[in-house]
Amino acid sequence: MNLPAYGVGIGWRPEISGFVAELPGLRFVEVVAESIAAGGPPPAALTTLRERGTVVVPHGVRLSLGGAEPVEPDRVTHLARVAELLDAPLVSEHIAFVRAAGVEAGHLLPVPRTRDSVDALVENVNRTQAELPVPLALEPIAALFDWPDDELGEAEFLTEILDRTGALLLLDIANVYANARNRGTDPVDLLDRLPLDRVAYVHVAGGAEHDGIYHDTHTDPTPAPVLELVGELCARHRPPALLLERDGRYPPAQALRDELDAIAAAAGYPAIT
Amino acid sequence: MNEDRRPGRDRLAARQAELVAALVSGAPVPTGFDTRLVGAARDALLRKRAGDVGRHWPMLAAGLGAEWLPTFRSFAATRPTNGSLRDGWDLARELAAGGRLPGPAAEELAVREATWRYDGDSNPLPRRGPALGRAGGTLVIRFAGRVRVLRGGLG
Repeated sequence: MNLPAYGVGIGWRPEISGFVAELPGLRFVEVVAESIAAGGPPPAALTTLRERGTVVVPHGVRLSLGGAEPVEPDRVTHLARVAELLDAPLVSEHIAFVRAAGVEAGHLLPVPRTRDSVDALVENVNRTQAELPVPLALEPIAALFDWPDDELGEAEFLTEILDRTGALLLLDIANVYANARNRGTDPVDLLDRLPLDRVAYVHVAGGAEHDGIYHDTHTDPTPAPVLELVGELCARHRPPALLLERDGRYPPAQALRDELDAIAAAAGYPAIT
Repeated sequence: MNEDRRPGRDRLAARQAELVAALVSGAPVPTGFDTRLVGAARDALLRKRAGDVGRHWPMLAAGLGAEWLPTFRSFAATRPTNGSLRDGWDLARELAAGGRLPGPAAEELAVREATWRYDGDSNPLPRRGPALGRAGGTLVIRFAGRVRVLRGGLG
């Protein structure tokens, strides 16, 4: 499945709802799936966006697909209902775990790149896909640390999961940048090894360095090297859509418009502002 | 699951639980992990939690000012989250019990106590009927859907 070329989008958050509503060229947004009541109605601002033809993609953050335990059926059902409620063409979630032995981590945590971990992920993704009315895209996360247990390279690990589940890839280019910078590896090398034809859409976000470690904060502007990486990606295989994620410390509207324009320019898509 | 996968799955479950415990419960960093990087992740997680709790409890965060982040960190470092609403509630009650809750935060807590019933173990439920809320030197009366704040004079 390929999305139509939606171009540049933005993560819809209540705090920037007014800003998002006034983007004339906007064709797709993402909404945190857990923030939507499955029984509806959706937030009025999202309904208004949909009425003017903007696609809304539910983005889950609490499924814990990478957990050793089976994914919780109620959470899968919720994601499926939200997809129906918003008439979404696809949904997305993370290659990560967020709880273990009943304790919530409060954040997306990396899974070890092992055969056992691939098996657990594939089972959870298959369970989820069986309930979903639409395709699922999987997003690799930014991780501040790696597991000592790792057996597989990142591209090998991701490709095996995608091959065994038929899932799409939600490639977060800022995560690619963050991980490569913190590990001292080449982000372009990873792009060359990933199945880019499986990319459903791309996340772009800002970050900042603290104590020598780059954090994918979503509360800072997108740095130039991330935009350059968007260019590298698009030179290889341009994704149908790229979405800016901003989750706090919202800048003035003009700064956010400039950031969206910079992403459009880097990808060769029309400005949406 | 295929039964020959069971030992590997159990090992993965145990390793994940160890890692989560290190990040949110103050347990030691599991064998083999980079302690500096896991420590950085733990700090980032606490900052994120502090921001989320501060959004749910703005007077608590503002009232503590520069002390907010260190206060929240020492409260939360060994305590996994129960959600930002409950985390802030537990912290506010703990500070109130120790006489360390600043005035506006005491009012914020008292209003919530009068509006919701929270047993400390499960999610708060809306109160029905008239209710009193008390925190620090603030008393809140809720009656006929209105909340009235009384300050001081309560000893």
